[in-house]
Amino acid sequence: MASVCAASRLLSKRISTQYPVVDHEFDAVVVGAGGAGLRAAFGLSEAGFNTACVTKLFPTRSHTVAAQGGINAALGNMEGDDWRWHFYDTVKGSDWLGDQDAIHYMTEQAPAAVVELENFGMPFSRTEDGKIYQRAFGGQSLKFGKGGQAHRCCCVADRTGHSLLHTLYGRSLRYDTSYFVEYFALDLLMENGECKGVIALCMEDGSIHRFRSQNTVIATGGYGRTYFSCTSAHTSTGDGNAMVTRAGLPCQDLEFVQFHPTGIYGAGCLITEGCRGEGGILINSEGERFMERYAPNAKDLASRDVVSRSMTIEIREGRGVGPEKDHVYLQLHHLPPQQLATRLPGISETAMIFAGVDVTKEPIPVLPTVHYNMGGIPTNYKGQVITHTNGNDKVVPGLYACGEAACASVHGANRLGANSLLDLVVFGRACALTIAEEHKPDKGKIRWHRLRRDRTPSGSSGPVHITCLLHCSLWCLCCLPRRETVPPDAQCRRRVCGQPGQAEEGCDKMDDIYQSLDDIKTFDRGIVWNTDLVESLELQNLMLNAVQTIYSAEQRKESRGAHAREDFKDRVDEYDFSKPTQGQEKKPFEQHWRKHTMSYVDPKTGKVSLEYRPVIDHSLDEQDCAHIPPAIRSY
Amino acid sequence: EGYVNEARQTTFVIYVIYEKNVVFFVLFSAADMSLVRFRASASRLQSLVFTGCSRGVSGAVKDKEPLKKAKTPQGRFDIPEEKTNPVLEKFPDDVNPVTKEKGGPRGPEPTRYGDWERKGRCVDF
Repeated sequence: MASVCAASRLLSKRISTQYPVVDHEFDAVVVGAGGAGLRAAFGLSEAGFNTACVTKLFPTRSHTVAAQGGINAALGNMEGDDWRWHFYDTVKGSDWLGDQDAIHYMTEQAPAAVVELENFGMPFSRTEDGKIYQRAFGGQSLKFGKGGQAHRCCCVADRTGHSLLHTLYGRSLRYDTSYFVEYFALDLLMENGECKGVIALCMEDGSIHRFRSQNTVIATGGYGRTYFSCTSAHTSTGDGNAMVTRAGLPCQDLEFVQFHPTGIYGAGCLITEGCRGEGGILINSEGERFMERYAPNAKDLASRDVVSRSMTIEIREGRGVGPEKDHVYLQLHHLPPQQLATRLPGISETAMIFAGVDVTKEPIPVLPTVHYNMGGIPTNYKGQVITHTNGNDKVVPGLYACGEAACASVHGANRLGANSLLDLVVFGRACALTIAEEHKPDKGKIRWHRLRRDRTPSGSSGPVHITCLLHCSLWCLCCLPRRETVPPDAQCRRRVCGQPGQAEEGCDKMDDIYQSLDDIKTFDRGIVWNTDLVESLELQNLMLNAVQTIYSAEQRKESRGAHAREDFKDRVDEYDFSKPTQGQEKKPFEQHWRKHTMSYVDPKTGKVSLEYRPVIDHSLDEQDCAHIPPAIRSY
Repeated sequence: EGYVNEARQTTFVIYVIYEKNVVFFVLFSAADMSLVRFRASASRLQSLVFTGCSRGVSGAVKDKEPLKKAKTPQGRFDIPEEKTNPVLEKFPDDVNPVTKEKGGPRGPEPTRYGDWERKGRCVDF
């Protein structure tokens, strides 16, 4: 890597002369055009800002479109409801790792956000009276958990995310946002710790574009693709997280990754828990119903993390099925086919299309699958990106984040169902409002320091490093030895090392893979639509996410929410909340785990350093909505 | 023999053999990399019309006539098309008779097992 940097200085001269760099200037730039990105982009345009939306996919192809579940809001259409009860449910669901001020903000704004979407034209399903129909979903309760099941989830038939995205896109066309579609954002332009814009690669013609702006919003989505089995699109590569990491800023809580136990092997589709509810069983290579050993009472109906862990242990101990022994089977053929067809209509079609099995004769290959990333870029409740220095949160000027890429943190250690679509719209709007509050459009154009030939602004070593890759592929100027490697996408296939004990082993293996990244070679030498190059860049981004995830996970010695460990099965808080806190001694900050992980990576060596930040326990207005003190989470 | 009415694309005439009043056309099909030999009687040659894509040096497709739609062998596809998706039928008027929800998800209640289920797939949990 050292010789790369030496050669890079030589190359950087050539970059500005031989490689076309186009400059743009905007009042605000939004990176990513999913639910959060679009909402931020047109929120800014509406406020009068000259906004650019830089996205590597066409807006309606972002992964938000795949969200079929609903969106939670305490509208109170089915029974009396209060957003403070939604607040309680979300705080509890996050296992008290969520920042209560952000959760307060989100749940209070939820009804207004949903009504706003409806006014934009989103066709929610209706009750007989014409109000939005709400159903029970996602661990929602009434009266702070004591009033029974709450009905809060609004939906649009089977396609809430699809409809949301199309509604937002259609609405955004009313405003004059400039869309830069199929531009791959490479890096943030940072100067003296302030974000001054973004640099992106135009995939169509290979030119580099610098978007200078006082306000940059990152809404690039999650990084499911670091795992072999995930429900995310191939484009969910954590580009925003990686850009922020390369800029020297931290990422928060990356070890909290939400798994679902039964995802179809190879396809990434999830099989509903209803299959196990109806009598389906999980079997290993010996044909044994292994859940009986791990959860003798609940067996296959144990909670999701227990099932996921059991499956992973079985596979690790060599009792997996298939040629690589890396998954297990979900058996349904012992159930009467008629029952399957009536209780679970469509499952035979699903199994045939995605797994190629006849569900009445063969078992379905399944393994734990990643669905959502709770962690991401740390922000406050307004959407501003923060770092934590000397015990205080400090805002990074000019940088904002929203959506799955951000960690506000409303989901904490575990996301509740139907809360993520809400998170998108609320915080997308929050970023737009914050920017509008802090700046007037066009006020004080940034004094742009001319990029000197020999030295690019700090933090944007990204473009130099990227252009090294480009130059190596385009002009073969570097005479570095480049060994052939496996195709870039295959590199980051790794399984969840949810098994501790193997966590250290996982970290070592990850280090090896990181070092082997040096040997990436792109085969496509073209400038137009060089997907080989873009995939290599995505691989580097995935790598940064993966290495932070695994180190954070290895360090966190407790089980909380989605982060579950065999060797540390309990939650470690400052008090033991299973007993009254009166008379207990509060553990010092270093000794308990109710804190956010802030991870930094040195991109050259791949070394991860971790710091910790306390959870925000107060709400925005204690009079209006008191914070919820921690308790044992049980459902 | 007889009248063959087929439209073949990306097929080139390689050579023509004329002997004893019979014309053989040897055709190379780029679509499936095959050589086909057609035989036509010379007396019918006047009704033989050469049409086709002449992809000249300019690269443009110059069609003299619109491409003829391939006709399926008669009778083989006369079975009426089966309705795909009998499992998730639309409710009458799009109103769920049990919950009276209008414009909601088709089929049984998606959240009945605790997660959001559709066609056996879990989409949210």
